[in-house]
Amino acid sequence: MEQGVQEIRSERLGDHYYEVRHPSGLKIFIYPKEKYNSAYAVFGTKYGSIDNCFRISGEEGVHRVPAGIAHYLEHKMFESKEGNVDARYAKVGALVNAYTSFDMTCYVFSCTKHFCDCLGILLDFVQQPYFTEETVQKEQGIIGQEIRMYEDTPGWRVLFNLLRAMYHSHPVKTDIAGTAESIAEITPELLYECYRTFYNLNNMALCVAGNVNPEEVLSICDKMLRPSKPMAVERIFKPEPDSIVNPRIEQKMSVAAPLFQLGFKEPAVKGRADVRQLAYTDILLEALASPASPLYRRLIDAGLINEASFGSEYFEGPGFASVIFSGESKDPDAVEDMILKEIERFRQEGVGRETFRCARNTVYGKYLGAMNLPSNIANSILSLDFAGREIFSYLSAVAEADEEAVMERLKTQMDPGHASLSIISPDQ
Amino acid sequence: MAGITQRSVCSGVTFRGIRDDRYKTVLMSINFFLPLNRKTVSSNAILPFLLKRASREYPDFTKLNEHLAELYGAVLDADVQRLGDVQILSVSASAIADRYALDGEKISAELSNLLCSVCFAPPLQDGLFPEDGFLQEKRQLEETLDAEFNNKVGYALRRCEEIMCVDEPYGIGRLGSKKEITSLRRENLTAAWEYMIRHARVEIFVLGDCDPEPAFREFSDAFRSLGRTSFELCPTVVKKVAGKKKDVTERMNVAQSKLVIGFRTGCAEPEKGAPAVKLMNALYGGMPTSKLFLNVREKMGLCYYCAPAYNSVKGILEVQSGVEQKNLKRAEEEILSQLEEIRSGNFTDEEVTEAKCYLSNIYHTFSDSLEAMENWYLVKTMYAPTRTPEEEADMVNDVTREEIVEAAQHMTVKN
Repeated sequence: MEQGVQEIRSERLGDHYYEVRHPSGLKIFIYPKEKYNSAYAVFGTKYGSIDNCFRISGEEGVHRVPAGIAHYLEHKMFESKEGNVDARYAKVGALVNAYTSFDMTCYVFSCTKHFCDCLGILLDFVQQPYFTEETVQKEQGIIGQEIRMYEDTPGWRVLFNLLRAMYHSHPVKTDIAGTAESIAEITPELLYECYRTFYNLNNMALCVAGNVNPEEVLSICDKMLRPSKPMAVERIFKPEPDSIVNPRIEQKMSVAAPLFQLGFKEPAVKGRADVRQLAYTDILLEALASPASPLYRRLIDAGLINEASFGSEYFEGPGFASVIFSGESKDPDAVEDMILKEIERFRQEGVGRETFRCARNTVYGKYLGAMNLPSNIANSILSLDFAGREIFSYLSAVAEADEEAVMERLKTQMDPGHASLSIISPDQ
Repeated sequence: MAGITQRSVCSGVTFRGIRDDRYKTVLMSINFFLPLNRKTVSSNAILPFLLKRASREYPDFTKLNEHLAELYGAVLDADVQRLGDVQILSVSASAIADRYALDGEKISAELSNLLCSVCFAPPLQDGLFPEDGFLQEKRQLEETLDAEFNNKVGYALRRCEEIMCVDEPYGIGRLGSKKEITSLRRENLTAAWEYMIRHARVEIFVLGDCDPEPAFREFSDAFRSLGRTSFELCPTVVKKVAGKKKDVTERMNVAQSKLVIGFRTGCAEPEKGAPAVKLMNALYGGMPTSKLFLNVREKMGLCYYCAPAYNSVKGILEVQSGVEQKNLKRAEEEILSQLEEIRSGNFTDEEVTEAKCYLSNIYHTFSDSLEAMENWYLVKTMYAPTRTPEEEADMVNDVTREEIVEAAQHMTVKN
């Protein structure tokens, strides 16, 4: 293989992949999965809903753009002078899609035939913006209905209400799709401005997994990628106080039973959590609140949670981090009370060796299970890389974790003074 | 890809295995098929959940979950599905393959053992399921119905099916009603469990990176020892033509209206016409280049989603969309008018080729996922012959333009 290609192996998994620094500026990951029928590719940019205020290196001024523009841009990338991208993929029988999160926008396809054609189209359309007054205008109705759909989705509302209760100014509290008002301000010029800033290959990455041939992938990249001038973008967030906004937020909706999310906000830090911190938090949450835990048993016995909905996660991105517990419950305040007591007990008594071992094994097993699917692999590699992490190192961090490290992690997490409870309750 | 092996265990019980080391995991499931019936729907529905929470060996829910956690987060799962007029009660177990265990544990053997013990050796007390477990699972089943109401897209779809199939078992739903769940009695459940293991049609799967042989022996012994002699046949009613169209509107405090239109296609598996309905469905609205997407969404900007789904076991097709209340009529008219286009043959050969490629891609992707393969063969066991996804792709590929038009012409929403 050519220069700039690094092979990364995991003995534990028996898998390997290649990381390539392409001369165009793009970082490329290739993860061949032998004997698979399908191939999956994701081409993404480190640009999401939180990037509404930014400065380009070498420039004086600050750019401010309307909420929801990254998502709007994602929709509009599907149109080109020659027509719709879906039509190009339809000819080769592949499925194309895209998603926008808080901190990234990704374009993906999966196919079982014509991989080279599919990859060529992906690299082509994402590098070719085409926005006109008319096409931008047309999208208002469609995205307007997408926003309305989220308004009726209790699981979505309970999260954004929680984020509003925790964050004073960080844009993570704003809906990814924006609002009817904010998207009305979007123009072709603003879309081009955001495109030029964030769709620079130095700010992007490509990952392919499954039935792929590394030489072929690189040869298509050589042909299709147009070198980008190195540039850096600085995300600008207003200073975020450590405190929360509200300890409790409640909204009434057409639901039969209440839903809740309980969040513990962590102080904003520069940079992102590393693989070890992630692994330790995942183990800690497993020990604290998995179906094998005493807390879970107490909550179930008290009729306060159900197995189908209760869970926990580490919700973390640029400038924000929190542990979130969620589920359906007839009495979310009582759930909060029991969770707080258990966290305190953990602080006093520790995790315990046996509980630690079970929790570590579970996190290890979950990770392995996710490595079956090319789509999971590719999406994970990309999102981990955007946060400066490597996928196999996470597995090693889990396998090599010890109880003390996990307890150390607890010292900086789940502070009851920074907890907010969000509830969606029945409107009648 | 490794092939599937199929073996008969005893009366009405079939075992299927796929051994494939591409996967890092193993998935085993026992699926009980029973006819949907108003009288038994809820007492059946609670069974898989009751079973997977404890066994004689692990009578305590937390101890059982500790054991699963130790086995690298093995998952013991329960599910209830409705496939045609049949209620499928499933208990499954999944975990990482033995070769990835950090301390050399024999995980697959543990998994089949656990699955057998929860299904065949529940911790009965005086012949009854323990009261605390029963009350917990009953409450959680009620809460599942609440959660289904909370999801308005899914709720609208299910309401449409209930209304369409009010006189058929399919209209009962997979769990039964809240009232039926609330009136469940613990005293009746042991008999329901015994009936299920003795008389349901049973499909067993062992898939992934493990030798299926030991699991086969274990499950076979368990079922053979029951002395099964007969089993439920589980037929499905397929109405060829829709009855009088019913327009039902439910008002709720929501931002967006959900519209669902249910059609009878006049054709269900394993009829010869089923591949043509699948292709017609893709052409009509299954893809981002199909008629509903291009017109109702892209041209008219009425919605974010507008898509049909063909239920090939029941022979119904439902189009669903989320639209502003004031646009409901326009959306409905356009959905019906796009169907008229297909009925009149207003589509190009290129569109047909694209729909075939689209479906072929989906079929050829199935074998890359254990869950997708399990689901594929679970549905396929409803009728003979059992086809592979690749064989089905070939059948769709052979569909002609005339057959698509004919399939669209057989779609009815009213007399």
